[in-house]
Amino acid sequence: MHWTHLLLELILMPLMAFFIGMGMVLTLRKIGAKLQRRIGPPFFQPLYDILKLHAKETQSSHGLIHEIGIVMAIGGYVAAETLLPVPGMNGIAQQGGLITLAYMTMIPSLGLALGVGQCANPNGSIGISRALTAMLAYDVPFILVVFGTAYAAQSTNLVEIIAAQQSDGIASWGLVQNPLLALAGLLALQGMLGKQPFEIYVAPAEIATGPMVEMGGKFLGGLFIMQCFQLYTAGVLYTSLFLGGGENWLTFLVKIFAVVSIPMAIAYLFPRFRTEDLVRFFWKWPTFLALLGLAFVLH
Amino acid sequence: MGIRDIPVRQAPSPHKSTNPLGRVFDEFLRFCQSRSLFILHYCTGCGAIELPPAMTSRFDMERLGIQPMVSPRQADILLVTGYVSVKTLKRVILTYEQMPAPKYVIGICSCTVNGGMYWQSYATAKKLNDYLPVDLYIAGCMPRPEAVIAGMRDLRRNIERGTANAWRDYFLRYDHYLGNQQRLFGETWQTPVDVIAEAKHYNLLGKETQGEHTARLARHQKPLEALTLNLELREQPTLLK
Repeated sequence: MHWTHLLLELILMPLMAFFIGMGMVLTLRKIGAKLQRRIGPPFFQPLYDILKLHAKETQSSHGLIHEIGIVMAIGGYVAAETLLPVPGMNGIAQQGGLITLAYMTMIPSLGLALGVGQCANPNGSIGISRALTAMLAYDVPFILVVFGTAYAAQSTNLVEIIAAQQSDGIASWGLVQNPLLALAGLLALQGMLGKQPFEIYVAPAEIATGPMVEMGGKFLGGLFIMQCFQLYTAGVLYTSLFLGGGENWLTFLVKIFAVVSIPMAIAYLFPRFRTEDLVRFFWKWPTFLALLGLAFVLH
Repeated sequence: MGIRDIPVRQAPSPHKSTNPLGRVFDEFLRFCQSRSLFILHYCTGCGAIELPPAMTSRFDMERLGIQPMVSPRQADILLVTGYVSVKTLKRVILTYEQMPAPKYVIGICSCTVNGGMYWQSYATAKKLNDYLPVDLYIAGCMPRPEAVIAGMRDLRRNIERGTANAWRDYFLRYDHYLGNQQRLFGETWQTPVDVIAEAKHYNLLGKETQGEHTARLARHQKPLEALTLNLELREQPTLLK
């Protein structure tokens, strides 16, 4: 591949991810609104929010690390987008592979932890410690699922995993081949996106949105951008592992929007888990399912 | 003489754009600002009860891009919903000063306009705009959700036109606001936010930013100190003794 072509892909992939991610944010807010029998936000609301936050005229920064933390949070996801193949573009997915991708998806939380740490707000500290504990909890089934899928396909290369799933229609999808892993992945996804019942680290009424408590203006704007990337990453990763990736853009978009809609559609059914219950849940049920799925794969 | 003929003193914008496209861009940003309003409701009085219906399924504020936020850092609008006692007003001012500009204050209920039914009370601040620059009052006891949303639409129109500049007034005439605050809270009143330094930094220093009251503040001001973490470890009671 010519280097200009690669450069173009490296720029285009995060950019598209951002716009699709804004669509996902809108979708989620619309679903939430419909479930509560409201009309919900207008079409461009995510864009208005992000632009408004960056247009704030006075900003309160708590220091260099506060700003670098946000850059890390977005940067980790921007790097992850270039490792996620989309129809027509592979970026550096061939060279990177699943393990790098799994690593990149953890960087944003760590960056956020650094940034929040400098704010020195007790609510923020409580929030981020809960968020990192939650990450420790859902990453165990997540890594098991990633390992199981990679083992089943005998490759850590996402491009090959997708090609293997597209070889024989729906029957070759990861969802059909390894349903237990797919289920465990879906539960991990719920935790990864921080939807109910796993949203104790945000807890607006109790700890004032936890990690976001000191974030205003461009900092919160950065986190809104991060949220777009996060939804996109989660949707595309799950689609690539279990739903056969995208044959073309139409099926690809339908699949990734369906994947991110599931956690929101069931979110309001649940009350909230406490942190220790959350860890107990993730290390019990999704981990058990993933291990069982892994046993089938290894057998 | 109609209400529109009353001359309103507007603080002139200190920023002058030299870029011809800057005007277009500014208008677009103002449009975005007017379409995305995060509210921080400081629920002091009974007016707070009218906000849940305004937010939930019957009136649904989110369709106007208005959503509740919980931290002053994230918010654009400070909603003061009801009477402010002297003690509450201190907290309202601390909250207001932490918000990033452009920020707007909306006083809901008659109590914020003139003290309402508490006008004889010794412990209640009567006019909110003596202490904070208020963008909009929504009068009523209490105003219905329709009135709240109509007020929000008015604010939205003002932001779009670029006339919702009350927050600049707080920097430009800080001495006036501080004077009123000192009259209520005493001479030693100080907040953690250094408003004068912020005004200097953001080029919002006006003729009335500093004056006799800020001089009084400078005399009494104690420098802010970082809180130290004191862990007092008590001896654990041993059960085996």
